[in-house]
Amino acid sequence: MTSSMSNLVKILEGFNPFVEEIDEKEVKITISSDKVVAVLETLKSNGYSHLSLMTCIDWIDDNQLELVYILFSWKNGGKFLVSTRIDRNDPKFVTVKELWPVARFYEREIHEFFGVEFEGNDDMKPLFLELWDEKPPLRKDFDPRDYSRKKFPDRKYEKDVIKEAKIFRGEING
Amino acid sequence: MKERTIWEQIADSFRSRSIWMLHYCTGCGAMELPPTMTARFDMERFGITPMATPRQADIMLITGYLNTKTLRRVIYTYEQMADPKYVVGFGSCTINGGIYFDSYSTINRLDYYIPVDVYIAGCMPRPEAILEAFNYLMEKIRKGEADGWKRYKENYDWYKQNQIRSLGEVYVHDEFHE
Ligand code: SF4
Repeated sequence: MTSSMSNLVKILEGFNPFVEEIDEKEVKITISSDKVVAVLETLKSNGYSHLSLMTCIDWIDDNQLELVYILFSWKNGGKFLVSTRIDRNDPKFVTVKELWPVARFYEREIHEFFGVEFEGNDDMKPLFLELWDEKPPLRKDFDPRDYSRKKFPDRKYEKDVIKEAKIFRGEING
Repeated sequence: MKERTIWEQIADSFRSRSIWMLHYCTGCGAMELPPTMTARFDMERFGITPMATPRQADIMLITGYLNTKTLRRVIYTYEQMADPKYVVGFGSCTINGGIYFDSYSTINRLDYYIPVDVYIAGCMPRPEAILEAFNYLMEKIRKGEADGWKRYKENYDWYKQNQIRSLGEVYVHDEFHE
């Protein structure tokens, strides 16, 4: 952790975070979900103004979804990962589109692939999938193989030893 | 197969010497086309050259996996092309799904949705294999065996039914154009 980053971590102490140092310039902060927006605001006003990624992880055994915001600073090249966990059965969170307008699209994507509702962001049209008719596909209990088998038929493969031998010997063109 | 008249045979012979391919790429296979097109392998010596619009193109290359979203556009494009038209499927993804066999959004076999004249095996086929396939396709056109476009017309109901089964609806809804 560089000195400017540890100063920032001290400022954030009031939010009661769990701080992990991943790398020299990368720090992960885990906080409870009601303090996320305040932490993001603090980080943004201290130079971490670039939202490089917002993503979600499904922890099916803990019955929780983890939301991660990755903030980047163009001043010193540091990165903050702000992470929080929400309930998996009733996934709701607040939008951060007022802080970063680009978050609208990340939120649409997370809504589409994990089924998280973002309050305040009412543009929740599907972004990538068209006419999706199942549960959100990146949830761990979704079985892509089963779905693929149901929707996209396979080619049947019949073993023909003689033909294969002929191809192998170069007599016919497979 | 029906006997061709002498005029059709002559026409097929000319067709096979000037194939324009639609410049439309999906999946990873697009990477192998620049060397095939340019000086090293130079496919223009066979009369094959890229064309920007479907109305003037003769062959369509499906260069790799197709997800359902792209397949809708491919069907649109294929139906816009003028007869006679030929389809070449690149790589194992178009044959049986390849490494995406269990993906929730990519199709497993292409000839279920549009008729395919030539398949090229490999992941990804090298330019030599692509040229070999083009030569094979030209041979097939000359012999009158590349009749995918006729099969599409004859079995239109079957193809449509497969398309609808996998896609739900073929019509393209686009948030930026509606
Ligand atoms: S066959 Fe291989 S190279 Fe071609 S699209 Fe599939 S994965 Fe990519």
